[in-house]
Amino acid sequence: MPALGLVVLPFAAADLNFYPRIVSSDCRCHQFALLNSPIPRGRREQKISRLKASFWESIRSGILKNSTTQVIEPPVAAEEEEELLPEEFVLVERTRPDGTIEQIIFSSGGNVDVYDLQALCDKVGWPRRPLSKLAAALRNSYMVVTLHSVSKSTGEEGNDQKKLIGMARATSDHAFNATIWDVLVDPSYQGQGLGKALIEKLIRALLQRDIGNISLFADSKVVEFYRNLGFEADPEGIKGMFWYPKN
Amino acid sequence: MAVATAVQVGNLPSKFRRFLPSPPKIAAQIKPNSAPPPPLFISTNPSHVNPHHLRELYVVCNHSCHRFPTIDAAGRVDPIDAHKLRTAVSHSSVVVSVFTKLEFVASQSSNSSSVVGIGGNWIRRVAPVTPENGRLIGFGRAVSDLGLTASIYDIMVHPAFRGRGIGRMIVKRIIRMLINRDIYDIAALCSGKERLFFRGCGFGEDMLGSTTMMYAPSLSSYSKDEQMISAGRKLLAFPPPRDFQK
Repeated sequence: MPALGLVVLPFAAADLNFYPRIVSSDCRCHQFALLNSPIPRGRREQKISRLKASFWESIRSGILKNSTTQVIEPPVAAEEEEELLPEEFVLVERTRPDGTIEQIIFSSGGNVDVYDLQALCDKVGWPRRPLSKLAAALRNSYMVVTLHSVSKSTGEEGNDQKKLIGMARATSDHAFNATIWDVLVDPSYQGQGLGKALIEKLIRALLQRDIGNISLFADSKVVEFYRNLGFEADPEGIKGMFWYPKN
Repeated sequence: MAVATAVQVGNLPSKFRRFLPSPPKIAAQIKPNSAPPPPLFISTNPSHVNPHHLRELYVVCNHSCHRFPTIDAAGRVDPIDAHKLRTAVSHSSVVVSVFTKLEFVASQSSNSSSVVGIGGNWIRRVAPVTPENGRLIGFGRAVSDLGLTASIYDIMVHPAFRGRGIGRMIVKRIIRMLINRDIYDIAALCSGKERLFFRGCGFGEDMLGSTTMMYAPSLSSYSKDEQMISAGRKLLAFPPPRDFQK
């Protein structure tokens, strides 16, 4: 196991998967982010995975329960669902003026250290959000894509430095709708097309899964960026509205 | 509370209706339903949703899961893929369904106002409506990352039961479920008509001034060999693979 800056939790898979596949009682596969946080995860994670397991159980039992009144379609086995295979590859490799090699590694495994993410959000000037909420959001996102910069030191192996420089994530109902949230790239790496690469990868993964309603809420400064990626503002008058508690 | 008022309006004799506070402008644009209110059962348990009844409800409400659905000459959207619908519902963090008694659905469609008979009917009349003995007439769902954000989709009410505040009740229940999990950033994509409805539910334009955008690439900028999928009447081309070696 290479000595990276991330702390890998003990239940990580021994093979080359970069994230643990947590299989619930009826074989639904999840992506879970590897986290390096001292926040007590046990209770909440179990609660969430129990909640999710019970959603599946209840849908399946709901389908079976009505078998007396109408033709049953066989319950959908999770194996039929295409699994989101994690990808990790070198997007760019270049040599710095000082001779060290830098690789920019793209990953869709959701391999995000929540502290690194918090630091990156600070760098781009975003307001702080509670770490536990960030962690939960990453865990329950349909897909999380990241860019890490790995500086390969000349000579000794195993002394690489890995730094999170970009991320994007999408939530989805796995069938029709997806929304892209939290797209960010380290300011010192902007302007190189890395953000575009992240979004394109997300879109490809969603379209491959036949998810057609891909939406996002863009700050005015980045509307042009998304337009160049094929997004249209307020298409056919569709606008997003947000809930505002009156009191 | 606006919701309570809307649901109880049908109960009051007409001479007392004058003394009610006038309904908000938005609600007034929706014609209030003056038939006696049906007994309702609202559930947040996804197992109460029968997939076949749900699909029928989509058809009756002429609602499509695609934002840009194909509409035929009669104005009907194309039917939903049952398997995809099941997947979507099972992956929704919040699922709300509203049921009413079967007799009410039947009487609405046949326009008869009286439920005749005693004896055998009596048990059925006094028994409370449950998801097992009732008919699905309202539905709504939300997808969330259970940490920061949520999006509401597919709010629908059977056409014969609109104007009673059932839709608003569904949205309020979804919001309550999300707030219980500490999520306050709740979004809903709306077309023109839906915008009025959501405004009445307490939604507004984004205060941070963000622009809603959807993936809808213009096909002219993509070569014909590019992979595509269809989402309703939209053809969505895959973004071309990018060469990065510098």
